[in-house]
Amino acid sequence: MTQSIVARRRQLMLALAGTAAGSTPGVWAQALAPSAGGPAAAAGRLVLVFLRGAYDGLSALVPYADPHYYSLRPNIAIAAPDGTAQTALALDRSFGLHPALAPLLPLWQSGVLSVLPAVGSPDPTRSHFEAQHHWEVGIPGRNSEAPGWMNTLAGLQAVSDDRNAMALGVGEANPLILAGAAAVQRVPRGQAATRQGALGDDKTRQAMLKLYAGQDTLSQAFRAGAQSRMQTAQTLADAQADQPMMAANEMNAANNGAGTVQGLRLDARHLATLMRQNPRLRLGFLSAGGWDTHANQGAVTGTLAQNLASLASTLVELRQEFSRPDDMIVVLSEFGRTCAENGSRGTDHGHGNALWLLGNRVNGGRWHGQWAGLAPGNLNEGRDLPVLHDFRGVLAQVLRANLGLGSVQLERLFPGFAWDARLDGLMRA
Amino acid sequence: MTLRQLLLTGLMALGVPAFAADADVWRAVSRVGYGPSLGLLARVAAASDPRQWVLQQVDEAYAASQQAPRIAPERSLFNAPLPELFAGWREERRLRLQIRAGDSGTPAMPTSTNPPMGFFADQGPENFSRTVARQAAAWRLQACSQPEEENPLLARMTEFWFNHLNVFAGKGSVRPFVGHYAVHVARAHALGRFEDLLLASARHPAMLYYLDQVQSVAPGTRAPQGGTRGLNENYARELLELHTLGAQGGYSQTDVKELARVLTGWGASPSEASGYRFYPRLHDTGSKNVLGQPFARSALEAGEREGEEAIRMLARHPSTATRVSERLARHFVADQPNPALVRQLAQVFLSTQGDLRSVMRALLGSPDFWQAEHRLFKTPLDYACSVLASTQGAQDLRKLTLTLGFLENAGQALHGWQTPDGYAVDAATWLVPEALTRRADFALAMARQSPEPEFLWPHLGPATQDALRRERPAVRTGLMLASPEFMYK
Repeated sequence: MTQSIVARRRQLMLALAGTAAGSTPGVWAQALAPSAGGPAAAAGRLVLVFLRGAYDGLSALVPYADPHYYSLRPNIAIAAPDGTAQTALALDRSFGLHPALAPLLPLWQSGVLSVLPAVGSPDPTRSHFEAQHHWEVGIPGRNSEAPGWMNTLAGLQAVSDDRNAMALGVGEANPLILAGAAAVQRVPRGQAATRQGALGDDKTRQAMLKLYAGQDTLSQAFRAGAQSRMQTAQTLADAQADQPMMAANEMNAANNGAGTVQGLRLDARHLATLMRQNPRLRLGFLSAGGWDTHANQGAVTGTLAQNLASLASTLVELRQEFSRPDDMIVVLSEFGRTCAENGSRGTDHGHGNALWLLGNRVNGGRWHGQWAGLAPGNLNEGRDLPVLHDFRGVLAQVLRANLGLGSVQLERLFPGFAWDARLDGLMRA
Repeated sequence: MTLRQLLLTGLMALGVPAFAADADVWRAVSRVGYGPSLGLLARVAAASDPRQWVLQQVDEAYAASQQAPRIAPERSLFNAPLPELFAGWREERRLRLQIRAGDSGTPAMPTSTNPPMGFFADQGPENFSRTVARQAAAWRLQACSQPEEENPLLARMTEFWFNHLNVFAGKGSVRPFVGHYAVHVARAHALGRFEDLLLASARHPAMLYYLDQVQSVAPGTRAPQGGTRGLNENYARELLELHTLGAQGGYSQTDVKELARVLTGWGASPSEASGYRFYPRLHDTGSKNVLGQPFARSALEAGEREGEEAIRMLARHPSTATRVSERLARHFVADQPNPALVRQLAQVFLSTQGDLRSVMRALLGSPDFWQAEHRLFKTPLDYACSVLASTQGAQDLRKLTLTLGFLENAGQALHGWQTPDGYAVDAATWLVPEALTRRADFALAMARQSPEPEFLWPHLGPATQDALRRERPAVRTGLMLASPEFMYK
């Protein structure tokens, strides 16, 4: 992320409170059925899992029927399914799952898991930090200031008509996707989220609040933080008291390092507990790094396989909480990796990538969207998966189906993009 | 007479009011250094004015950078010669393999990475790299909070360059080398020439491993295990995108690949004092072109010099001057610095061939640096160092341990940022409601058994002073350190 991007967030947070949509709906808006979504869908919850660093989708969703896959990746390809755990798990005649993702197979078979193999941003950047910025503000190519689209979403009146936080982020200090004028609950990574700390002592808390009694930004932030932290810690502590096993597991997980895929599991548990206890929270954000596998990424086993296994178990747990009719879990990365392995048995920065959807409203058990295969002529700049679907088109389908967003609201989240009618069968009617 | 009384008397004899409530003083000690301590305030007071003191630090920091840092001998293993670090790391891996092979069924290694007790105790050769990484982090905390031991501006510049050329201790092969990198790359070149800094970074094992340069070789190179190896773009891309030109600085995917080809052969060497060696066998001898500049027009010309020339070319590029200047201005002046200041610094950078003392003099001498409306909110590291400084905690293992834990929970662990962009330094990232309350926890814990930092009083506003006067002395120090005034630098 460039410094200019980072530094402008604060201004935004302060300045955008009153910003109206302003823009007119794009051309695509007319293509939307007027009755799309609707109040029945408005109670849905959305959890977004951002795999930072560009995960290798071609190892997760294996195009085993394509001979180019094996010629491009002589050392790191996942073998075509032969029924053993050393090969891909067949999803259909084109694709298979990485064997480390085996826990997801029952979800696929029960029809609540789907994937789009070649999604991305139309912007060609191969910079992690620029691309993540584009995905988080919802505007490809925009490197300057803009609020995060999940924050804008949280602020939309149609979704929430009170001033309490409806979005929750667990893990990162202040991810851009949640930055903006709307109230957001931000909870730190790991075990720290469960502790009230000094605030738990009445006298100390009162003394602290006196120091921050003013109407300035910092004082207001402190008071909001104190309230949020007390509630967060209480909610999580209660949940742990109900499930002693969970508490023990958390201690282990907490030592496995912050920001890793292993740490994601604990963050996901906290997120699930907090969203279960507070029905106002309807948008959740999680992230994990460790996906930038430039060297020795492994194949059926190895670094990437371990990360995928952790991700799979986290998703299975998340699904247990987020299994109401209008819940949806979205798993994505800022771009994909090169189709060919590089000179050190890893992969470099690419373009299109596989995006996963897990929820009852997705038309699951099958993949969606375009797929052109890995023949040389079909690759972006001769090396990457092309972006055959704009990520905003996919998210718009989800937001319409699960949260009942209409065209005007979608235009506010993703100004100027085009509705992708080729994906109209993605969600169940 | 205590030292404090002596200093007070001295200050008053100089006609300086004791603990003057001077915004310039606060800014000088908090931005050039990491916050007030009795000793640092006295030093600033001894100068004719804070503005002059700030400028003096450029030369003093440079002089200090040419000397070895002061490191507690019992925790100095991290700064051993590189061949020793390589040997320790090799032994660690050997022992771990042995333990894994021998003790099947029982847990092979202690899984906890953060034992609260014996944090800095020698953990044995099987924990070599974690031990040295912890020592390195402890040294960073001591350097930032003890201006008597380390020039405060030098500690800041070490932080700045480490972050600009970030490496990550969580990557196993990088971990043994992070402290050495901080000392011999970031600190040693902190106020020298930018291109020397960049080259030192390019050749250090920490960077060579972090961005996989060690694995990037001429396409078709035969591997010892059989098969062939080739390019890895990781380092070349981040060298362009983050270390020099910037993502919008004017390069293409072709430039990334060509630069990667130029740098093939640059690798780590356990036996060299520098930890680096050029391996001609791994170098791509074909002709290349980076940013329109041809390299190695013939195989005879090909070699290590190409890479050195390419890195110097990138270091001198106008986009690099702008990017580095902007980052410096964000670190020292404002979250959104005046573009005119950035242009001015970039001009100095270009006209002096990247002389960092000249750039820093221009920055610290500019009116922008002193403008009251340019507030900077402390990052977690700023905050941690300033609390350590005010509570004189740098020699106290309990406090060092608390501080490292605070930084980890706050999301700014020392040497702990995974991606090469380095930590953000702005309020938008760090001014987060719940995180503020965690600063209060840390302050209260650190204040236990600490003398009250009376020198902070004049820098606190009337409302804070009033609230503090009503509090029990037992918690007053902690509350001072958790006060709104103490959150800004």
